[in-house]
Amino acid sequence: MSLRLSDLAPCFEGVIPSIIATAAADGTPNISYLSHVVRVDEEHVALSNQFFAKTAANIRANPQVTLILVDCFTGDQFLLDIRFVRSVEHGPLFDKISLQLRASSAQVGMAEVMRLRSADIFRVHGIEPVLSPVEPAPAPARRRTISLPDLAEAGRAIERKIETEEIIDSLLGGVAHLLGHRNALVLARDVHRGCFTTTGSIGYERSGLGSEVAGEDGLIGAAAASGLTVKVSDMSRVRRFGEAIDADAMASEDATRTIAFPELPLAMSQIAVPMKIRDEVIGILFVESLERMAFGEEDQAALEILAGQAARALKESERAANSASGAIPAAGRTAAGGRDVHVVHHRLDDSIFVDGAYIVKGIAGALLRLMLDWHLSEGRSEFSNRELRLALAPRMPEVKDNLETRLLLLRRRLEEKQAPIQIRRTGRGRLRIEAQGSPTLAAAQE
Amino acid sequence: MRLDVGLLEFLQRPLMCILAAADSAKRPSAGRGIGFQVLDDRETIDVIFSAWQWPRLESSLRQTGRLAVTFVSPSDYVTFQIKGPAAMRDTAAHDLDRAGRFIADATDELRSLGVPPSIIEPWLTRRDPKVARLTVSEVYIQTPGPQAGMSAGASAR
Repeated sequence: MSLRLSDLAPCFEGVIPSIIATAAADGTPNISYLSHVVRVDEEHVALSNQFFAKTAANIRANPQVTLILVDCFTGDQFLLDIRFVRSVEHGPLFDKISLQLRASSAQVGMAEVMRLRSADIFRVHGIEPVLSPVEPAPAPARRRTISLPDLAEAGRAIERKIETEEIIDSLLGGVAHLLGHRNALVLARDVHRGCFTTTGSIGYERSGLGSEVAGEDGLIGAAAASGLTVKVSDMSRVRRFGEAIDADAMASEDATRTIAFPELPLAMSQIAVPMKIRDEVIGILFVESLERMAFGEEDQAALEILAGQAARALKESERAANSASGAIPAAGRTAAGGRDVHVVHHRLDDSIFVDGAYIVKGIAGALLRLMLDWHLSEGRSEFSNRELRLALAPRMPEVKDNLETRLLLLRRRLEEKQAPIQIRRTGRGRLRIEAQGSPTLAAAQE
Repeated sequence: MRLDVGLLEFLQRPLMCILAAADSAKRPSAGRGIGFQVLDDRETIDVIFSAWQWPRLESSLRQTGRLAVTFVSPSDYVTFQIKGPAAMRDTAAHDLDRAGRFIADATDELRSLGVPPSIIEPWLTRRDPKVARLTVSEVYIQTPGPQAGMSAGASAR
């Protein structure tokens, strides 16, 4: 065949419905739309078996099938002659199709309706372009290809970083500079709270640092649960629950101890890439764009490479900080004076308020409480990561793997809220607490 | 089989239309419709398509005389499939007018849903229009959801 499946990449984005024609054993034709066609390799496609009983029965009675695929950039159509080979109900291919289906049905607001039961694999026997009444559109302004040397350099830049903060910033910088995507988040897994917490953010009006995503819903939840990249390429028909930005976001933060997730209200494309070390998802890189179909195969591959690099660097950073000098800094009265800074700790969720403003909860909250406690009882302002880790581990064992990301979240939230207490890094695995005034620590009356 | 009032009303909406026929070797062919008309008897539908764009459709239809047509309302995905015996009839001037209106309505509808017109243009053409006259014998709901595949929209005489 002169056209190859790999030439039809824009037909597999799940944006414009495909069409499937089958015929029953007696030759009665059947025609329906198809939510998703997945390219398996150069000779096979998989169809989500979401179509109707008649199509499924026809395929088994008469394996000859005709597909119409549509290029989502140009509208060009292709006729494919395909033959049913087999059905899959589990395994990696099934998972891949299932996930793509979930994302593509999310983009038409039907995630609940579409649930994959099985996927059917077909061999492609012929591909022919359908005649078009219009002149072929000038090649659409597809994004430039990603240069491999630039990608390698972006990867090395992440690898060279030692501190958690630098690694996350370097990853987000790579997304912005190499791929040209301006809105991106890094979410770190919080085993303790069973969610993913925004730890780095670029391009948003509100950074959303500290906001949490729980469960398997949405792209981030689906990517976290499956360990696979999930994307939506055309959000134009997704119901936009979040369009009205909550003007009282700050006020409601204090009331609900919940930080609003950063939003790009007019986003057309979104992608959630798991940051994995082997099979363990330690975080999610989430990128969105105002353009339709912003994340093609190349973007996805590049994001997966950078996310993997960052995951390994973060793990190494935790390990290095763990083994850094554990000497407990000497005590010494720090000059405190001025007004009182009221810090309130809620035992229930370890949430922390400074002068009435909500800062953070979970491990990050517990860390600040601990440092303040030592600051007030021992009179010292310097702490080592190691002693924090040791002190919290009995209650929060997972702290040994993600203390660095929690400290980063805490530091950034204090900065963002311009709180009168700040945490500064003073060296490898060491921190200092700085207060503009005399801190007081109280347990909240729950 | 007569189309019921509900289905007739549905067919008044801006719709997209796809159709299939199978040749004598039971190999299916597919294409897009560019217009249709329900005749007064409510059991016959004339479906217009471009034989220039979808040449296999016409030859399959001539071989086996059976057609399946699916109509979808793009704004809410309400979808019906109608099947039955069909035969080609000569194309008349009013078929071209009808196709023109259908294409304009479908394009407007899709555009209002955010699909750029440049993407829709390759799909719908009045070049070499042909008309298949379909006698309604089966009607199915194809709207995604629990009722998908169920018979509907028509009453037996």
